[in-house]
Amino acid sequence: MKKTNKIISIGYGKIKPVKVGKKLPLVFIGGPCAIENYDHNMYMAEKIKIVCDELKLKWVFKSCYDKDCRSSPDSFHGVGLEEGLKILQSTRDTFNIPVVSDFSEAKDAAAVGEVCDLVQIPAYLCRQTSILREAAFTGRPVHLKKGQFMSPWNMKNSVRKLESFGCNDVLLTERGTFFGYNMLVNDFTSLPIMAQTGYPVCYDATHSIQLPTSMGSISGGQREFIPSLVRAAMGMGVNALFMEVHDNPSKALSDSNTVLDLKYLKLILSQAVEMHSKFLELINKFGEDNVHTS
Amino acid sequence: MSIHPKNDPEVSMVMMSTKSFPVVDKEKIIKETLEKMSFFKIGITCIVDNKNQLLGLITDGDIRRMLLNIQKPLSALFMEDVNDHMTLNPFTIYPETKFSEAISLMEQKKIWDLPVVDKNHKLVGLFHLHPAIEFLIKTPKSEKEIIR
Repeated sequence: MKKTNKIISIGYGKIKPVKVGKKLPLVFIGGPCAIENYDHNMYMAEKIKIVCDELKLKWVFKSCYDKDCRSSPDSFHGVGLEEGLKILQSTRDTFNIPVVSDFSEAKDAAAVGEVCDLVQIPAYLCRQTSILREAAFTGRPVHLKKGQFMSPWNMKNSVRKLESFGCNDVLLTERGTFFGYNMLVNDFTSLPIMAQTGYPVCYDATHSIQLPTSMGSISGGQREFIPSLVRAAMGMGVNALFMEVHDNPSKALSDSNTVLDLKYLKLILSQAVEMHSKFLELINKFGEDNVHTS
Repeated sequence: MSIHPKNDPEVSMVMMSTKSFPVVDKEKIIKETLEKMSFFKIGITCIVDNKNQLLGLITDGDIRRMLLNIQKPLSALFMEDVNDHMTLNPFTIYPETKFSEAISLMEQKKIWDLPVVDKNHKLVGLFHLHPAIEFLIKTPKSEKEIIR
């Protein structure tokens, strides 16, 4: 039975909602992995906005106040909930853009939902009922990242949990799948499989090239594959693209081996926008995919 | 087998109630449906909408054919919505249908079960082979037996 294709709206109050869904233009979700400080966050938002405005690309600013899954106890853990949300609020107000942050503790969800237009559930926590419940209770759309250990079809369990708590606005994201130890692979079939839930799907091009904890106390990454993986994701018909971006990756306080250097952002987004638009054109011209097993 | 007109009750007298066989709503996944079939030890599930109207059926045979044809991991099949695999527009009967008519239909179509629906197509019961056999065994066979 054909599922209804849902369109989610990211943005409340004075922010004009960004719509994500089938047959709609590509949406970009991006920003530095962690909120490092007020000035850096504002700088990054300004720079990304220039690129997105030039490409007429709707986008959501992403940065997190707390990095709870770092490999080492000595790694930067974030600026904290209160300070982080203040910075996100300023970013939102200054640039008039929707913002998203993840949260790793159920008790933080309400505060995050007060400020953020989209609330994000970290991949490692994608099946935690208490996290899903509190995300749903914020009333905001939920960005649910597929765990590296999860099959795409099993993500439906997490979606059903969100729905059971009253959330009907979900964005599902592929971010790589564990392949043995310290290694991820990209199985692009996960995108159409997750799309069978009826919710829009997104590809996270910077975490997908991560080599988890491959460098002992930190994760490595193979950034050189980001452009080709982005192009492949556009061919799969994603509705949104997620990338973490930094103006000086080697100095980034989080995910320094995977964040995209800001200087490449325009190049990659330009291709993504064109390819996504071409994808929609092909679907309009030739119709929906209709190949079945038997 | 012929049934004496005096021993030919309405299906409502012999059918199973909706509490005693598997009924699932269309949002359920295959895994939950199979668990329900195992719980009731019956090889058929009726799929209904939120108004309890019958949408379709899934049977042990359907599952068997699915397993022979499906080209994906079992764990993926388990997660699929039951309504993607159900048989639409199954044969149905009414509670007022005569027992003899119901078993004739079963014999004619080579099926073991007939969902019982009311005039609004709401599921009200299941006419299942085993209770039907039980009724036939227990029922008097002749006019003489009926009189006694």
